[in-house]
Amino acid sequence: MYKTEVRGPLILGDKNYRQISDDVIAPINQPIPGWWKVAFFIALLMGIFGILALYQTVVVGLGTWGVNNSVGWGWEIINFVWWIGIGHAGTAFSIFLLILRQKWRTSINRAAEAMTVVAVMCAAIFPAIHMGRVWLAFFIFPYPNTRGSLWVNFNSPLFWDFIAISAYLLISASFWYFGMVPDFATIRDKATSKIKKAVYGFFAFGWTGSSREWLRYEALSYVLGGIAAVLVVSVHSIVSTDFAVSVIPGWHTTVFPPYFVVGAIFSGFAMVMTLMIIIRKMYKFQEYVTDSHLNAIAKILIFVSLIMGTAYATEVFIGWYSGSEYEMFTFFKNRVTGDYAFQFWAMVVCNAFIPQLFWFKKVRQNLTMAFIISIFINIGMWYERFNILITSLSKDYLPSSWTTYSPTWVEIGIYVGTLGLFTMGVLLFFKYIPMIAISEVKSVLKVSTPVTNEKKHMSHE
Amino acid sequence: MNKTSIIGVFDEEHALLAAVDQVKKEGIEINEIYTPYPMHEVLEAMGNKTRFTFAAFLYGFIGASSVLAFLYYTSVIDWPINYGGKPTNAFPSFIVVTIILTILTVTLASLFTFSARAAIYPGKAYILPDSRSTDDKFVIVFDKSMLKGGAEKLNALLFEKGAVEVYEKELQPQI
Repeated sequence: MYKTEVRGPLILGDKNYRQISDDVIAPINQPIPGWWKVAFFIALLMGIFGILALYQTVVVGLGTWGVNNSVGWGWEIINFVWWIGIGHAGTAFSIFLLILRQKWRTSINRAAEAMTVVAVMCAAIFPAIHMGRVWLAFFIFPYPNTRGSLWVNFNSPLFWDFIAISAYLLISASFWYFGMVPDFATIRDKATSKIKKAVYGFFAFGWTGSSREWLRYEALSYVLGGIAAVLVVSVHSIVSTDFAVSVIPGWHTTVFPPYFVVGAIFSGFAMVMTLMIIIRKMYKFQEYVTDSHLNAIAKILIFVSLIMGTAYATEVFIGWYSGSEYEMFTFFKNRVTGDYAFQFWAMVVCNAFIPQLFWFKKVRQNLTMAFIISIFINIGMWYERFNILITSLSKDYLPSSWTTYSPTWVEIGIYVGTLGLFTMGVLLFFKYIPMIAISEVKSVLKVSTPVTNEKKHMSHE
Repeated sequence: MNKTSIIGVFDEEHALLAAVDQVKKEGIEINEIYTPYPMHEVLEAMGNKTRFTFAAFLYGFIGASSVLAFLYYTSVIDWPINYGGKPTNAFPSFIVVTIILTILTVTLASLFTFSARAAIYPGKAYILPDSRSTDDKFVIVFDKSMLKGGAEKLNALLFEKGAVEVYEKELQPQI
């Protein structure tokens, strides 16, 4: 239960219900701001660069990438894991906090879910093009076929990955969409232009907010919340088995699934923080996304950062404790010291040390600092994946197969393209979709406003 | 034929709840209540029950057993492959796919069930008595022909409990 006396109101400014609808819908009705256009244009250019790189990959082949026989997985898989990790925030936010009945999620979950959907779309590009002949990607579907009724290998984590990502995309997108239906109805009923009424009316699916609808809606959100919580844990565990079931030094460890899941939540929450600071700044939503919201995210980040630090230390310790000279070599000669020391220490500093600054209240309350730290975490999480992939693959058991890896412009281009796609997706979300879940914020308004507390009823406990 | 409805509009949820209690005490049948956000007392007062969770469990059960059956069929019966002498029925490695696909089944089937039971689908002709109820008003709707006493008594009751407006209207479906 949320104690307003202790933790302060969730929504500031003594709002009423109409003000909430008006405030949240305002960006949809206002003309597109200048910064939005500039950002969208830059993102579009990035996206075009990405499409060029993809075109090159498809027309010429995987030879345009820097990957080789030893380092068979390069930037593509780094970026795939990075995006999937970021994509964990939405589900983690909405679902874990829904189950734990954390009311402060209501101002943030919509944006976090939007981010999830776009990030998972970006992630899904990488495994598809990594197959080489992307036009044959449908071979991965297990269906009765003309190839000698051969089925896919159900024991392979790569197939699990395919199942997990497609399911995750479908489920997070539908969870997000059904959360928006009541808000679309609000926009429909408040719209003055005929076109807006028709468009949002179509997407509102005839929602009216009757008790019959709310009853099922609540039941649906708890069923989906409960079941999708398992998904958050399982998707990134499956991604980690891509590595953990192999016999490459540095990969073959049982700590991988929890380590990956925690890392995913870490990078996701950092990205949520980045995004919420932008939303708050650009759309003046500080009464909804309050200082205490960002404070709560910062506290979660400290906690998760400690787990990350422990995980890094555990990996290095087990590298020594296992007594395997290959593990010893990978961790001590290739990561902690040696050719990839910079990437290793960048990971440790960005993920385990810098977020510790959030222990200071001054840092948590300084939005610029919080923004910079959240960006550092995102960079650190990218380095973490670089570390896992490249250090282990470039120097494995056989010195004759040791090699170096550096990305080509095509690989960089695809990454830049996904960054552009993500930015475009998020910008479209800012403009056309209510950024804050209107009906959910209304449901916590009375609980959170101290003045009206005596009128409070028990419905939202 | 459209029936005339009596529509009471409230500004505050506690006023609506007081009115609902009083109306129920008087034995007047409420047609429907429209609120901007879910209110559990309203759901209880309307007395509707949902077996949604049971349906979800059923979908999960069906999903899990059919995925396992499919994996067994493909890996053991239809096309057994020898992976270094390991058993073709590699049950532990089927669990992952089963979990994910069960979740997918439950989600999609629940969404369709929701769509069917709550009647929420694209292009639906909906009846919304007062369009302010998706914004900031709490709206209670009565069927005039079902009222035993006069409408005046009900109106007085609603105003007494804090209704800001009470009016009659023939409800039309809109698209």
